[in-house]
Amino acid sequence: MADDTSAAAGTSTETGAGTESNLRTTKPGTKRLFLTVSVLISFLLGAPFLLKSTEIHRSPLPSAAISSLSDHLHSNPPSFPCHFQAIFLSPFKPSDSSLSLSVAERIRAQLSAQSCGNCNFTVSVTVDSGSSCRHEGDAASAACLWECGGGGLVDAIEGRDDQGIDELLLSAVNGRTGGCAGRVYSIFVIEGRDERVVIGKHRHAWMVLKDLDDSTSVVSMIGTVFGDYFMRGGVEKGEYIPVGSDGNVVLSFSLLNSNPSDWIYDWDFQRTGEVLLAPVLEALAPVANITMESQVLYHAPKSSISYWDEKLEAYVVNTRDLPFFVNSNEWHLDTSLSASGRSKVLQFVVYVPSASECPLYIRTPEGEMSKTNAFISPMWGGVAIWNPPGCSMQSQGIHIVRDVLPPQELEKIIEIFIGQLRLLFGLNSNYVEPSPKFKVLASEKGFTNWELDLLYRQHTCFNLLSSLSTLQSLSTLVESLPRMIVMDEIGKQVELSLEAANLAESNISLGINNASALSSIRARALAEDAFFHPSIMSISYSSMEHYFAIYMPFFAPVSLHVLLAAVKEVKRYFAERSKYLTFRASKLKSS
Amino acid sequence: MASDPKGSQLRRILLIFFSLSIILPLSSPSPTMHNNNWAVLVCTSRFWFNYRHMANTLSLYRTVKRLGIPDERIILMLADDMACNARNNYPAQVFNNENHQLNLYGDNVEVDYRGYEVTVENFLRVLTGRHEASVPRSKRLLSDEGSHILLYMTGHGGNEFLKFQDTEELQSHDLADAVKQMKEKNRFKELLIMVDTCQAATLFSQLQSPGVVAIGSSMKGENSYSHHLDPDVGVSVVDRFTFYTLAFFERLDMYSNASLNSLFTSYDPTLLMSTAYYRTDLYERPLNMVPVTNFFGSVMKTIPTDSAYPGFLVAHASEYATISAETETARVVLEDEADHSKTYDQSEKGLQHILDEWLKLLEGKLGVKDPEVLVAYGLGSMVLLLTISTWLSS
Repeated sequence: MADDTSAAAGTSTETGAGTESNLRTTKPGTKRLFLTVSVLISFLLGAPFLLKSTEIHRSPLPSAAISSLSDHLHSNPPSFPCHFQAIFLSPFKPSDSSLSLSVAERIRAQLSAQSCGNCNFTVSVTVDSGSSCRHEGDAASAACLWECGGGGLVDAIEGRDDQGIDELLLSAVNGRTGGCAGRVYSIFVIEGRDERVVIGKHRHAWMVLKDLDDSTSVVSMIGTVFGDYFMRGGVEKGEYIPVGSDGNVVLSFSLLNSNPSDWIYDWDFQRTGEVLLAPVLEALAPVANITMESQVLYHAPKSSISYWDEKLEAYVVNTRDLPFFVNSNEWHLDTSLSASGRSKVLQFVVYVPSASECPLYIRTPEGEMSKTNAFISPMWGGVAIWNPPGCSMQSQGIHIVRDVLPPQELEKIIEIFIGQLRLLFGLNSNYVEPSPKFKVLASEKGFTNWELDLLYRQHTCFNLLSSLSTLQSLSTLVESLPRMIVMDEIGKQVELSLEAANLAESNISLGINNASALSSIRARALAEDAFFHPSIMSISYSSMEHYFAIYMPFFAPVSLHVLLAAVKEVKRYFAERSKYLTFRASKLKSS
Repeated sequence: MASDPKGSQLRRILLIFFSLSIILPLSSPSPTMHNNNWAVLVCTSRFWFNYRHMANTLSLYRTVKRLGIPDERIILMLADDMACNARNNYPAQVFNNENHQLNLYGDNVEVDYRGYEVTVENFLRVLTGRHEASVPRSKRLLSDEGSHILLYMTGHGGNEFLKFQDTEELQSHDLADAVKQMKEKNRFKELLIMVDTCQAATLFSQLQSPGVVAIGSSMKGENSYSHHLDPDVGVSVVDRFTFYTLAFFERLDMYSNASLNSLFTSYDPTLLMSTAYYRTDLYERPLNMVPVTNFFGSVMKTIPTDSAYPGFLVAHASEYATISAETETARVVLEDEADHSKTYDQSEKGLQHILDEWLKLLEGKLGVKDPEVLVAYGLGSMVLLLTISTWLSS
């Protein structure tokens, strides 16, 4: 550097004439240029390394797949293939040719707004009366047609009781409808003297009609059975989904002794309850993973008021006081050990009143006495009041009665709880029969197979839509926070959830209802796990402004200096070079 | 970031389109029913001179419990350093009035987050539901799509922020973001936010989610004042906004149906020395039709059960009569298996048995009671033997 300056000084001082700062005699040095440009280049080379080292680990989420599946589900909601078949076991000559069409029309006429989990149904009619066998119906239902040859059934049915007929028809349906046993709903129509309609506990029903020629009434009966019962479960009201977001439900059974100084009751829930409820829990397994627990509590009075009724000689709780019955301050019900954070707990409470309000009854809104002495609160659970025997006699005994709830009473209470469980899941606690000739058989699982199918359909649809909307919200959230770390666990959960949702959808179209319900539970649980992952806290993650604010105070001045220096050096070098070149050119010219 | 306006406009259009495509299909489900009420009561101050904030929160806790919300549906966040503070003249008692008629700390106060657990992060975790797996159920807001939530916050605040425990701040956009995420996951049906701080109305100025009604004790630029000083305790014991709120609720019980409008219009700006500002633009129901017990009390929807599920017991009995016969034979088979495994065990036990006997013999001979010492001796002697043999063979 010293040479350059002295050389420059030399050129400017030594030339007296003409060419002073335009010429130089020596080649300009490159040391300074080299230094500054190499610093600039090292900065440029290091910039990608800096960006890579400050990169945040974001596990890639399949947003495109999520939005495409979500759009697909919203535009065509999952439709479950159901096949209805009516089988006439007695000779029948229909007055109009297309009975199946009229039945289908009747069902469709009653169909209310599109709710989640509706059937995409096909109807077929078969007349199989020994001598002749005629099929009529949808071409799409050809795979599940009834095989002919069931004429002997009419005689076999004669004289059996309803349970026996149910089992007989079950074996007939299983044998004669190919592999479609789980997806076909059948009704058998027989001509006979005493008219009845009985809906079995599997997937079939049978009708005994006097006059098969009256086709309108036949169509309307068949339509009622298929549409109101098999397809909609006999309910008008909306659906409840009392299942936790991780697919678990805990049924918590409590026996409350209101005032232990009057009497103390215990119960043997473990034996009786578990034996009676085990088939119910197994049947509901595709809907939720249900566990049970029970406890006995003392000093648990209710918090509403009851009135003494002279006529009944009992204490009565009015319907408008029921909302205040549950005394949440004294009833410590939510002490479940097995319920994790996102499970749903349903409380089933047996309330034993104290001597000062015994016997205790509930009055319905219509003014009658409640037959069950019980009520439910949707999404919370149910309460049943049990009056100890002999409490109206008001014995003046000093000693405290310690007793066990008799097993028969416990069984009756469990029947009430099953009814309440059905209400909590959106069905009717008992079958609403439109006429005395109608009968619906009860099942030991608490739900008949056709009701279970309805539950599976509703829950599958709800779970799928819910999981997709959760995944959609998650991907929107992740995209809106570009500097948020997305852990691998979240990415994996999202992938598995999508996989389960796709599997559920394909199972729906195949008609395997319980597998699709299980996959949909899994999809929803994984989606919720991903969305509620504790690492997604927007407040912890810096925005782009923050990132710049960290790095700019160092890099801005430094890069400014480096750039300026490089630019200055390059300009100076080229200026000096041009001076040297003109000097060389002039020397060549002069020599 | 200073990008070109066209690019940002395009992004904005895409965002609107995208959000519409989410909202439209999801707006079709029918309105949900009101199932239960939750309360989240947060006191964001600590230290003795902020006594009144803890008294505010505890008074509201007591009111809400009296009107029926149970402890399992109340999340109470307090620094909880007043009652047992060394400067408290009345140890273990907290009052909200100088007449000392009511001890707020008396019975059954269940504090969910206390002391240093009251942080902005925990508060936002409670609202959004993003807890670690180990957090117990009592510390979670387990609301669902039918819940009405009352969110009450008190402490020191300012323009668009609320100070937490003197170390951090909750910004209004953080609160708005948390509420937005709650709404997306349907964690509430309706939300009532009550804020008793200085410039309280600015805290909920950024809210956009539907179904939210909010009231603050003062507007931007105004302070909220304490009500009175208790000369015995030595500090102010209650704030004006909360004092008049409590006065309103003292007249009510579980069964009353005073409306939210009557509560909001009961605040007198001259008595409060600030303007209680409320916003209802995100709330569809008219305030005079909303009873206060919709948020402050607990009304369960009840449906009498008309019948049991008859035939269940009969069906169960008939189904399981056949099965019990099968289980009898199964039980016999199991017993055979148990016998078999027992004999197998015996033979194995035989070997173990011999070893035990040998050990006992050694113990007896050597007079050592502790078998471990015996084993140590055995090992030592083995090592000795090894060294001797190697020395000999070398």
